[in-house]
Amino acid sequence: MKYDAIVIGAGPNGLVAATTLAQHRKRVLVLESALEIGGHMRTIEFAPGFRSPLNEDHGWIPPRVRSIVGEFKGLTQVPLEVSMTVAGADGARLTLHSSPEKAAAEIRAHSDRDAARWPAFVARLQRFAGILAELYQLTPPDIDTRSVGEVLPLVGIGRKLRALGHADMIEFLRVLPMSVQDLLDDAFESELLKAAVAACAIRDLQQGPRSGGTTFNLLHYMVGAPQGSVRGRDRFLEAPDSFVKAVAGAARKRGVEIRTGAPVVRIDVRDGAIAGVVLEGGEEIAAPRVISTADPSRTMRMVDPVWLDPDFMLGVRNVKFRGCTAFVFFAVDAEVAGKVDHSTPATISLTADTATLEKAADAAKYGEWSAEPHVEFFIASQRWPGLAPDGRHVITARVQYAPYHLKGGWSEARTAALRDKATAAIARLVPGFESAIRHRAVLTPRDVEERFGVTEGALTHGEMTLDQILFMRPVPGWGKYRMPIDGLFIGGAGAHPGPGILGGAGYLAARAALR
Amino acid sequence: MASNRYDAIIIGGGHNGLVAAAYLARAKKRVVVLERRPLVGGAAVTEEIYPGFKFSVFSYVVSLLRPEIIRDLDLPAHGLQILPLESTVTPLESGDYLAGWGDADETRRELRRHSPHDAEAMAIFGRLMQHMAMAVKPILSMVPPDPASLSPGDLKGLLKLGGHFRSLGAERFHALYKLMTMSSADYLDEWFEFGPLKATKSASGIIGTFLGPRSPGSAYVLLHHYMGEIDGAFRAWGFQKGGTGGISDAIASAARSHGAEIRTDASVEKVLTKGETVVGVALANGDELRAPIVVSGLDPRRTFMNLLDPRQLPTDLVDGVNRYKFRGSSGKVNLALSGLPEFTCMKHDKGLMLRATRGAFSISPSIEYLERAYDDAKYGQFSSNPYMDIVVGSMIDPGMAPPGKHVMSIFVQYAPYNITGGWNDATRDAFGNAVIKTLARFAPNIESLILHMQVLTPADIERITGLSEGNIFQGELALQQLFFLRPVPAWAKYRTPVRGFWQCGAGTHPGGGIMGASGRLAALEILGA
Repeated sequence: MKYDAIVIGAGPNGLVAATTLAQHRKRVLVLESALEIGGHMRTIEFAPGFRSPLNEDHGWIPPRVRSIVGEFKGLTQVPLEVSMTVAGADGARLTLHSSPEKAAAEIRAHSDRDAARWPAFVARLQRFAGILAELYQLTPPDIDTRSVGEVLPLVGIGRKLRALGHADMIEFLRVLPMSVQDLLDDAFESELLKAAVAACAIRDLQQGPRSGGTTFNLLHYMVGAPQGSVRGRDRFLEAPDSFVKAVAGAARKRGVEIRTGAPVVRIDVRDGAIAGVVLEGGEEIAAPRVISTADPSRTMRMVDPVWLDPDFMLGVRNVKFRGCTAFVFFAVDAEVAGKVDHSTPATISLTADTATLEKAADAAKYGEWSAEPHVEFFIASQRWPGLAPDGRHVITARVQYAPYHLKGGWSEARTAALRDKATAAIARLVPGFESAIRHRAVLTPRDVEERFGVTEGALTHGEMTLDQILFMRPVPGWGKYRMPIDGLFIGGAGAHPGPGILGGAGYLAARAALR
Repeated sequence: MASNRYDAIIIGGGHNGLVAAAYLARAKKRVVVLERRPLVGGAAVTEEIYPGFKFSVFSYVVSLLRPEIIRDLDLPAHGLQILPLESTVTPLESGDYLAGWGDADETRRELRRHSPHDAEAMAIFGRLMQHMAMAVKPILSMVPPDPASLSPGDLKGLLKLGGHFRSLGAERFHALYKLMTMSSADYLDEWFEFGPLKATKSASGIIGTFLGPRSPGSAYVLLHHYMGEIDGAFRAWGFQKGGTGGISDAIASAARSHGAEIRTDASVEKVLTKGETVVGVALANGDELRAPIVVSGLDPRRTFMNLLDPRQLPTDLVDGVNRYKFRGSSGKVNLALSGLPEFTCMKHDKGLMLRATRGAFSISPSIEYLERAYDDAKYGQFSSNPYMDIVVGSMIDPGMAPPGKHVMSIFVQYAPYNITGGWNDATRDAFGNAVIKTLARFAPNIESLILHMQVLTPADIERITGLSEGNIFQGELALQQLFFLRPVPAWAKYRTPVRGFWQCGAGTHPGGGIMGASGRLAALEILGA
């Protein structure tokens, strides 16, 4: 056999998995269905000459991932000074700086009490996110964990937890299952501040801020964030996809072969063990190990179900994907960007109170799209000028809630209505926005599914809710990357530690495959 | 006149206070129970609010009462007699119904009529839930260990707990984890397909809690209600002969038989302390009673903020009590009826209807129905189409109403305590009307039968029983206020910062329902201290 392992998907997890295996002298082939590498980190050319990423914040690079790929070339991170701004239709505005003192100074305009509480509040969340960060670098322990190799690192975590001190440790356990609304109501009075933090906590969830576990989601996306930031990690300087480019470079240097435009349609099993994969054109490639970074549902659809236990398949079917984020890209004249009054480019949330956020989520529960959706946007080309031609800008908006399972389906008319809602929301903040638009494009969760191959358009590969993390991810009892077929591993965001931890799952899956 | 010196004073004659009193008296302590109202029972009372008609005014069914308490206090000898509720019928929007009967085979046949898949799934689901309930049950009888503590007692408790979870095996542990974190709708979606079945089951996940069936955390409340047992039979709900007050009376009688004194119309104003030690209580009428042990059965807010001076308490405790969530979300409508209501869904079969009327009716036609009811409440309104759990008490115990007449107890959710504009006579009437109007959709003759109607909003429940914000569990059964976090981290073992002053209400672990576990565990802690 030519290859020791095949990695499905050339996103951050797939590339990190491949590099890790290659480091251990394995011959690795990466197969990517799209024509470009990068997975959801790749940019989308939505109009001639205009490209947009899906996210401004790409996540955290765990130290091990950083070290296995060596020092990335052409990958500089710029410190995040402003994590977000929330702007109300009435002109009310609040910018959350990463510096707690600067943030407090801004909050003071809305509430002295909140300003005084902010630094301690954010520092505490940071400590909690730090605990998650430790947990995110390990294969998740399960109830039957007994091996010394798995227990030892837990002792380290236990020590970290104890280092928090008694009060903080209890507080950590207390807040994890809480709704972010309760967390914020207990601490603050300013609606604007609550709305800013709540918007971070509902990211890519189909739930509103009053749902239990939204505090966990907030902490999840704070992992690796610079001190004082509730939203986002330090940004890549060069381009939104510089991380994947750098990892691909490292992978190739170690002999990894990367083929794009090579969609895997089947994972071959013989006698209960992995035999290889079959590509769309019928080409068969043999290998004793396959690490799939496709989501669990999509991965298992590639396997002949006779090899899979019905209970396991039930677990796969029960994964809650629930994509509910739509994207709207705008190509605009440059002057309009200047009207967005903020010094450092960052996400601007347009929902100024938590009740509106909650109401936006209500619609999704009934399979409807929000008539008043939550819209946030950033000027992608201000951060990465290469994304737009001179004299033009790219504005990227995320719209929640746009459920994948929309009653009656996503028609063209509904897609257009969603696009117009997002446009109108931004226009309320930016005068002249509508007339400055040169091109617009929309990705509903259906489009995201089609373009990125993620089930139900869930870029998370499964909602980040408490019942779908750690040993429950991707399927209860199968949280250690190894799937029930000999030689098959899941190494994408559908496995622990989930989305936003760059290469986190890929690295741990590769370690499992090397065992 | 009785002397005013005791070994222990219990504040509040609710069922937990009475249980604590009985256990302390049984251990030869000289105990007095002080109850503000003219009758004991707290939210577990029977009152004749309309001549000839007896009502279980607040709490109306029982299933969680701990068997060890029934045994230890010999409650059947003191009048405990639980009559089984044999069925639950959910009228459907289509005019049909979904019934769950006492007999498992009959239930399966009925379910098969709606969904053969669900009938099969139910058998497995039932077994799993029973295992889950068994898994959690030992926790109900356990003083919660502090997971952040290194003290030998806590470590022992934690190891015991860890061993307990391990003994479950991976599959059941994962199922339990799901129950602790998921929404009841999501949890049930994994098992069933028939909407009204999911809705009726998920309704147990929202009772008494300001959550919708799609809110994470509601699956735990589902389990909490699944743990019910009467005489060891799981998932059996029952009705006390003579109404719920009979349970309180039985416990009170057991306490008295061990020598406890029970004073009604005795409202405690303050807990008296000397330095950091309790010395007794002061009553509203100016009397003072002395004892080295004082136990509060009131909820955490009343216990710490009213009975004590919060300024003498550590700030983390005060902060914890301040952020403790009550959020009463349910109301109650009690009806005196001139005859039996006729449910349209069973009109074709009078015998069947008569039989069903001896059980419960659940107005929960779909998950969406319940979820929309919750959405109303989220934004400060009572549900225009609420969830209701209906029991015709006089069909189970004919002694509850004059011959040919009936009493109907309607548990209603959602009725948020913090309703926009506040509760007043007008909003109470509107709420009552919404309940009757919704009920009339399924039982059209109801309006013509009403002789008397009592509507209880969360504000009324608070006013009458003293339960803060009208929360029937003395605080939500949300994950962040359960086990070692209930009511407040570091004060979850029935103790308070005041030496000799203890808590024993449902606001402590395990809390909620007529369970008595809090009262018993508190008494055992006191006796062990």
